[in-house]
Amino acid sequence: MSTKRWEIHLHDSDYPELLRLSPDPPHTLYGCGDPSALGPSLAVIGARKATPYGLTCASRFAGWAATNGIPIVSGGAIGCDMAAHEAAIDAGGTTIAVLGCGADIDYPRRAASLLDTLRSRHAVISEMPWGAPPQRWAFSRRNRIIAGLSLAVLVVEAGLPSGTFGTADHALAAGRDVWAVPGSILAPECRGANRLIRQGCAPVTCEAELRDELVSVGFTLGELPADGREAPSEQADPILAALRADPMRPDDLAFHLKRDIISIACDLTRFELRGSIVRLRDGRYSVSRQT
Amino acid sequence: MQATVMTATVRGVEALPVEVQADVTSGLPMFAIVGLGDTAVQEARERVRSAVRAAGLVFPNARVVINLAPAPLRKHGTGFDLPIALAILAATRQIPSTLIDGSTAVGELGLDGSVRPVPGMLAHAYAAAQAGFDLLGPSAALAAAAVVGRVRCRIVDHMRVLTTGRLVSEQPRCHSTYEGLATPDLGDVAGHHVAKRALEIAAAGGHNLLLVGPPGSGKTMLARRLGGILSPLNDDERMTTALVHSVAGVDERPTLAGIRPFRMPHHSTSTAGLIGGGSPPRPGEVSLAHNGVLFLDELPGFGPAALQALRQPLEDGTVTLVRAEGRVCYPAAFTLIAAMNPCPCGYLGDAKRRCSCTLPTIERYTGRIGGPLLDRIDMRLRVDCVDPARILTCTGEEESSQVVAQRVTQAIAFAGDRPHTRTLAGTRLISACQPDKSARTTLETLARTMGLSGRAVTRTLRVARTIADLCADEHVTRDHILESAGYRLGELM
Repeated sequence: MSTKRWEIHLHDSDYPELLRLSPDPPHTLYGCGDPSALGPSLAVIGARKATPYGLTCASRFAGWAATNGIPIVSGGAIGCDMAAHEAAIDAGGTTIAVLGCGADIDYPRRAASLLDTLRSRHAVISEMPWGAPPQRWAFSRRNRIIAGLSLAVLVVEAGLPSGTFGTADHALAAGRDVWAVPGSILAPECRGANRLIRQGCAPVTCEAELRDELVSVGFTLGELPADGREAPSEQADPILAALRADPMRPDDLAFHLKRDIISIACDLTRFELRGSIVRLRDGRYSVSRQT
Repeated sequence: MQATVMTATVRGVEALPVEVQADVTSGLPMFAIVGLGDTAVQEARERVRSAVRAAGLVFPNARVVINLAPAPLRKHGTGFDLPIALAILAATRQIPSTLIDGSTAVGELGLDGSVRPVPGMLAHAYAAAQAGFDLLGPSAALAAAAVVGRVRCRIVDHMRVLTTGRLVSEQPRCHSTYEGLATPDLGDVAGHHVAKRALEIAAAGGHNLLLVGPPGSGKTMLARRLGGILSPLNDDERMTTALVHSVAGVDERPTLAGIRPFRMPHHSTSTAGLIGGGSPPRPGEVSLAHNGVLFLDELPGFGPAALQALRQPLEDGTVTLVRAEGRVCYPAAFTLIAAMNPCPCGYLGDAKRRCSCTLPTIERYTGRIGGPLLDRIDMRLRVDCVDPARILTCTGEEESSQVVAQRVTQAIAFAGDRPHTRTLAGTRLISACQPDKSARTTLETLARTMGLSGRAVTRTLRVARTIADLCADEHVTRDHILESAGYRLGELM
């Protein structure tokens, strides 16, 4: 393997300052890749079993922050974490994955190729020694490192109960900010993020809000680039409009739109073919990331 | 003194003719049966001896040898009792040869001389009709002969009637009509409109259907109601299905009344139980579901070997078992309805309960089904709990099974003489579908963007053909394709 391996100890000068200041910092950080990536960063985290909504939010905000030179920290897990890492890579920024197993272990296996990229050009770290197998308890422990490395934590999608709450608690204990992306009040996948907002976390709904929050915690940012995103067009198909508000099953769509099930089924397949909507594992349809 | 009586042994769903030759000669008293009979055939000696005596006839105190010809063919079962007894009685001139000439005999004997039916009476009647023989046996033969037609019966319900020296040739009688058990009604199910539509399509075209959903969402409830919307069996189907049931010793009266079989074996069923097998080979559940429905609840609970063995009958509509004693072929053209949970805990994607499974355990669970089997399932559906509030507001508005069954029957009538949709492929499928231009483009786009396999395209088109049949449309249009594809696309698991 050509990737560089290193170990940083708590009293080394290149130990990340923010992490040192957090409660219970790990004594040794085992890492692969570029150790200089471990500067003050933004953590972008979310559910593993993510919906397109969560994936879209993760890549949108992580990508925007990475474009503006902010390193993105996440957990290297599938779902929202992977989307955040990938968006940061695509934006040409820096990103750091904190694993619960040894930093040289490909876990989850599906993320193997992403982890390879991260090890060669970014950073993958862990407090677990080389070769440590994945263990359940280690993943909730590593959440404190994610929180410790970052000035703020952005929760993009979380159900209830959720592992992201652990990271949020660690962040609050370390005196870092926690922000959340609100979701539909009907969707179970958004209950966690919405509850965080109810408990006082700042909601983030667009790049401008994210920028203001980032500046408030001490990041220096350039001018906000022009937002190329269009607001969803008003005359969108009723099906798309309904699905944008909340992922639904065909039966529910037929009930709410008062249309017969066969025509709904045809339209859904047509939108699916066009790539405007995707089918979730649980049989609901949701607008796709591109929509 | 010698005598010969015709009978038959069942192999597969066929009754193969067997000659029972009796030789009664002077010598030390003994009774031997040769000709590769199984234990049941060997035990016939005791039953025959007692039954003959119980009827007031004489069992010869001599050397009795029975040969079952052709000798190399393995023979199974108790149906040889009656022909063996008849052969001995004819050889000792206790009954006239006119009594047995021109007939094929089958029946099991009780020690008291009573004659009982054996599994496969229908196959025996069928073989008798083919050979132009009368069927000689217990009165159950009458019902079997009535189904087959063109065959007369000589009824022996007790060995005693043989002492009269003549048997009246009787006309087959139709048995009383079968009072089926009431199947549950679709009208009792609130919501689930997509699933109901899929059931209707499955019933009309014999398409395979997989229902995925959390516990209590209504998968089994929906599947059980499929029985109520199936069209009745036609004469051909009735015969072939009843033959399998008769051979397996399953009550064939519902089938003869035109009710399509609906089999739901438990998931602990072995591969042999599902596909057929054993010694002697017996038809499995797939064959008992011939021309009907095989409902496999909790699909991943079935053994991997059993599941993968389903692939061949799903494709070919027959099961061929090759055993040391030869090849046996059973028909198995069935509609597969399967139900399963989305994950081991069952609650993945449930609105109320949280799934406690990790992604690898979910993948292991669903991986048991395997791509090749899944590819052969035309329609996959997610079934979810209906909002209780909607169940209460929707009462009385749901279509009853009777209404749906009428549409299914109309669709089948519309399809007319066209070969069964399930068997259509290649150019015959295209010419049956006559897809218009937009349908063709849609199908092409589908195949390209969704990466459908050749089989998937064929099966999508077949389902579209059935949907068009339900609309009484000669041509398959874009909307039919879109609806059909909707049942196939997506990762439900």
